[in-house]
Amino acid sequence: MAAVSRKEWAVVGTQAGMLGILYIFLYLPIFFIIFVSFVDNTVWPFPPEWTLKWYQRLTIMSDFHEGFKNSFLLGLGTACISTFFAGIAAIGLLKYRTRWRGVLAVIYLSPLFVAGLLIGISTLMFNRNILGLHGTLTSAILANSTQAMAFAFLVILAQLARYDWRMDEAAMVFGARPLRTFWEVTLPTIWPSVFGAFLISFILAFNNLEISFYNLGAIPTLPTIAWGTLRHGIEPELYALASVINFLVFFILIILFFLIRLGFVRLGYREQ
Amino acid sequence: MVAFWKIRRSQGFRAALLTLPPALFIIFFMILPLITIIVYSFWRTENYTMIPDWNLNNYATVLGQKTYLTFLWRSFIMAVCVTAISLVYSYPVAYFIAKRGGRYRLILVLLTAAPFFTGIILRVTAMQQILGPIGLINMAMMHLGLEPIKIFMYTPFATGIGLVYLWIPFMVLAIYLSLLNFNFDLLEVANVNGAKPWRAFLEITWPLNWMGTAIGIALVFIPTFAAAITPRFLGGVNGALFGNILEHEFGATGTWALGSAMGVVMFLICLLVIVAVWKTINLKRSGYTGSLIGEQE
Repeated sequence: MAAVSRKEWAVVGTQAGMLGILYIFLYLPIFFIIFVSFVDNTVWPFPPEWTLKWYQRLTIMSDFHEGFKNSFLLGLGTACISTFFAGIAAIGLLKYRTRWRGVLAVIYLSPLFVAGLLIGISTLMFNRNILGLHGTLTSAILANSTQAMAFAFLVILAQLARYDWRMDEAAMVFGARPLRTFWEVTLPTIWPSVFGAFLISFILAFNNLEISFYNLGAIPTLPTIAWGTLRHGIEPELYALASVINFLVFFILIILFFLIRLGFVRLGYREQ
Repeated sequence: MVAFWKIRRSQGFRAALLTLPPALFIIFFMILPLITIIVYSFWRTENYTMIPDWNLNNYATVLGQKTYLTFLWRSFIMAVCVTAISLVYSYPVAYFIAKRGGRYRLILVLLTAAPFFTGIILRVTAMQQILGPIGLINMAMMHLGLEPIKIFMYTPFATGIGLVYLWIPFMVLAIYLSLLNFNFDLLEVANVNGAKPWRAFLEITWPLNWMGTAIGIALVFIPTFAAAITPRFLGGVNGALFGNILEHEFGATGTWALGSAMGVVMFLICLLVIVAVWKTINLKRSGYTGSLIGEQE
């Protein structure tokens, strides 16, 4: 940008301002709720009277431990299934250029274009009436895995698209079988995206309400506990619960950020 | 010759081994359930059981009764408004990040996407804590001795804010990813040839990035149209949308057949929107080279 006119600066300034306002819009509610979770006077916390009692109440809430455990299992199960399928889907699509790749890509990505509510009710009907799974974690894991897989697929595909398949060919020339090639050549190069896909699908299923709700029956998870609490009006324990989840999410996102940086360095191979 | 065929066959076999299981998984656990509710929508429910008594009554109810049509129309208007607002706001933001973000591009765009991962229910809770009667805005107004802003408290307007809050990250991300592959030099060329910035935008930037924009539109429209949690907690007594009454059929009343028909109607409208948007995409004009899933140089 050699010569930038004043008018152009005004445009750029407006855009930057809009980005700033978007950040405030997106983060003010989240940080406010974290702030409020640490004060006693939750309704108007100025000046704040600091306290940890909402967290203490949260830990003695009977459903909380159970809910955390179930959310964790739901996240883990979904992450394992969707990362595995997304991984083989992305490799299969890019390595062997089958004629069907357009159709396959549409199938893999279709869950992104179906509303969570619809996946929720239709899997409820199907899993309950046809598979005989009702009110189980398994049913919720299966239902969440479809949508999580679409996200995981995009994450892995984004980095795999820059992978140089000649490395695989080289390994094969030296006599490595496909599986060994995968373990010793492909995976060590693409692991940041695979791990990233795992974390993203974990987090999506962990926090999902719309899909899980119908499949879980009476099994509590953190989002369904939050939903139940919110129904009776906001209680301060909910702020503590929200903050715990937010901390967890931000922790995972920081890991993700470093994974992406790592991924770019490693996978930058083809682009200078 | 024999060896050649052997390799070809094993290549095809390996491709199928990798690509088919994930496709079958989605077909079995998402597409088959959707077909199930299509079938159920023609049945009827009695005492919480499905009775295969083929009829069109459910559709007559959903598409014939004024109440249902009102909710459907409300959801549609809400989805159109939320999508339009997200689009108009996201474009300059995504443009700024893609063009001026430089080495901070990645972190800038991730920051817009990050809140998405905290889940719908917590983000709605957070929004209620800002907009509600004991929320930040209203309490601040009270402390300043001003009238409360009624429009923020349990109104469809509040639902709209909540929905933009939930789904705008998708729009920013979709447009950003499209602009990432956009050659900004084209605008310089237009400029040199005397095109005004808005004309360059309308004739170059917008059409060349239309595919990404269209994906963003679909990704915001669909969950907004199906919204149930946001209107429930932000919309107040008269703010219920189609998603809420759909949810109701699967909850207390247990009239699954009717609920299935409502789900099918919702699905078809979303599909119609996707197809309508897809029809406007001209792959060649959007600069698509098929590089991501197609041929690589």
